[in-house]
Amino acid sequence: MKRTRDAKPPGRGVRQSMADLHTWAGLLAGWMLYAMFLTGTVSYFKDEISQWMRPELAYQRVSPDAATAAQRVSDTLGTIAADSSQWLITLPTARSNVASVFWRVPHPQPGKPAYGLAAFDPSTGRRLAVRDTLGGEFFLRFHYQFYYVPAMWGRWFAGVCAMFMLVAIISGVITHKKIFVDFFTFRWGKGQRSWLDAHNALSVFGLPFHLMITYTGLVTLMTMYMPWGAHVALTTPARQQAFDMQLSSFMAPGERAGVKAALAPVDAMVREGEARWGRDNVASVLVMNPGDANARVVVTRGAAARVSTSPQYLLFDGASGKLLDVEERVGAAAQTRGVLYALHMGRFGDLQLRWLYFLVSLGGTAMVGTGLVMWTVKRRQKLPDSERPHFGFRVVERLNIASIAGLSIAMTSFLWANRLLPAALAARASLEVDVFFAAWVTALLYALVRPARRAWVELLWLAAALLALLPVLNALTTTRPFWRSVADGDWVYAGFDLMMWALAALHAALAVRASRHRPRAKAVRGRGAVALPHQEDA
Amino acid sequence: MRLVALLLCVFAFACLAMATGRQQEAVFGRTLAVAASRGFRCAGWGALLVALRLTVTDQGWALGLVGYSGSTSVAAGIVYGALVARERWLAAGDRKR
Repeated sequence: MKRTRDAKPPGRGVRQSMADLHTWAGLLAGWMLYAMFLTGTVSYFKDEISQWMRPELAYQRVSPDAATAAQRVSDTLGTIAADSSQWLITLPTARSNVASVFWRVPHPQPGKPAYGLAAFDPSTGRRLAVRDTLGGEFFLRFHYQFYYVPAMWGRWFAGVCAMFMLVAIISGVITHKKIFVDFFTFRWGKGQRSWLDAHNALSVFGLPFHLMITYTGLVTLMTMYMPWGAHVALTTPARQQAFDMQLSSFMAPGERAGVKAALAPVDAMVREGEARWGRDNVASVLVMNPGDANARVVVTRGAAARVSTSPQYLLFDGASGKLLDVEERVGAAAQTRGVLYALHMGRFGDLQLRWLYFLVSLGGTAMVGTGLVMWTVKRRQKLPDSERPHFGFRVVERLNIASIAGLSIAMTSFLWANRLLPAALAARASLEVDVFFAAWVTALLYALVRPARRAWVELLWLAAALLALLPVLNALTTTRPFWRSVADGDWVYAGFDLMMWALAALHAALAVRASRHRPRAKAVRGRGAVALPHQEDA
Repeated sequence: MRLVALLLCVFAFACLAMATGRQQEAVFGRTLAVAASRGFRCAGWGALLVALRLTVTDQGWALGLVGYSGSTSVAAGIVYGALVARERWLAAGDRKR
């Protein structure tokens, strides 16, 4: 034993170990992380995407009065879901022009969900009669629970990926030798060196954000990932409920009295909330046991200018309209969680802060993307025959193409489907999502059969074309073309079109870079080109 | 006020860039004296502190720190992009000549 210990080669050092850890943790979860990062990034503009995906709803110049909207929607629910035990009405805001409603279905038919979920028009209080779509909500849901798989599985998988991300960030910081000295370094046209510099810059500039977003991402689902403490401590239903109320104002309905009683005016309750927290700062109205003498209504405070999602709410007697309880504080631990949760979502911020979130998060997406590409750049140099790389290399290369260029195509196809699928189609909202995945899988298949460099170039061009033509499609299929949006001062629509063109330009630039770079003989220096991975042959 | 803070951050990172040897070589063609580097470094960190003070005074600690973190990231990106663009522009000029 002693001999072998002596014979052991000297340790490779913590930095090398961390570099390996960084490489493999990053690669294994990288494709999913890229998708989570990009869909999460666009979710900072979830409400604007939803507005764009419901073009029938006119541009809202002023935000609708939340109290009136709440009353209208609850009137409608009183007719279509009268015997439900719970309605949750998420009120419209300056950014969101619909009221989203969740309600429980008391006696669901076998095979049907036990709840209803729909968007309502705040101006009429009726269910929206416009095209059925998940809107920006799809990207948000995909970001943390994916699709087609049970939500719980998806969330566990997202948690595992986030944990890999955290490992990759920490090991990356340890690996990076000269964070301060190389802070501004970029060496153009040096192949692997250039990719590393870009990857470092994207990682280091947004480091506070990347660390925060990964850690807080895990915190958002912490009670699911680590339920054991709560299981041991919360032995009675009353304790469990007290715990739940520290995390969210969404409470379980109590017992019904069995005596009918009309629901008191909901608008007055919302106004009482607005008087406390400011106009347009009531997020939602939760009605429990409507129409019963034991009805309760919870009016929850909005997220504006408050860096915490800890619940603050007013509890009303639903039959008399009397204020029963005011909750505006939670315990220190719950508050810590509330702050971390809010930091992740960024809903407290105004437009400028939202843009900062978006830009830095986009930098994070590019960080993951450059990291993935670098794996192949680095290994291509060591291939015995760069024309016939080994199987593992080819797998990574193709998955990179599909997950980076392919995702842009898939996300844009989702938006195209929104404009092209007939409005009256059955299960239209899920068909839009099907188009998203069909486009993604097609991109993967395409990347598998084409030579790698061609696949990069062609798919990037396709993404650029789809993005650039989306405003054209919008002009042809709706009454809200770019010029009219500008004339109307509708910056949600005009901004959307401009963003598509900006992203198209970005994809076109990447495509041009990829196509310009020809594989060269060794030791011949190209003129200042940044290589995409498959072309790296120095 | 937020734009002022962002511009201050850009200025700060520009100073910090000029405090590094590699960027001094690129911009001035030589490394500067230790005192000059130190001056740039102090100006950079100082400007970052002033920007923090401005943001927090304007928006309070909670929102201010979040906004400040975003501003520093974006400002560093702007300075970095500008340095790369400058380099490319000069290189393109050299090739033409």
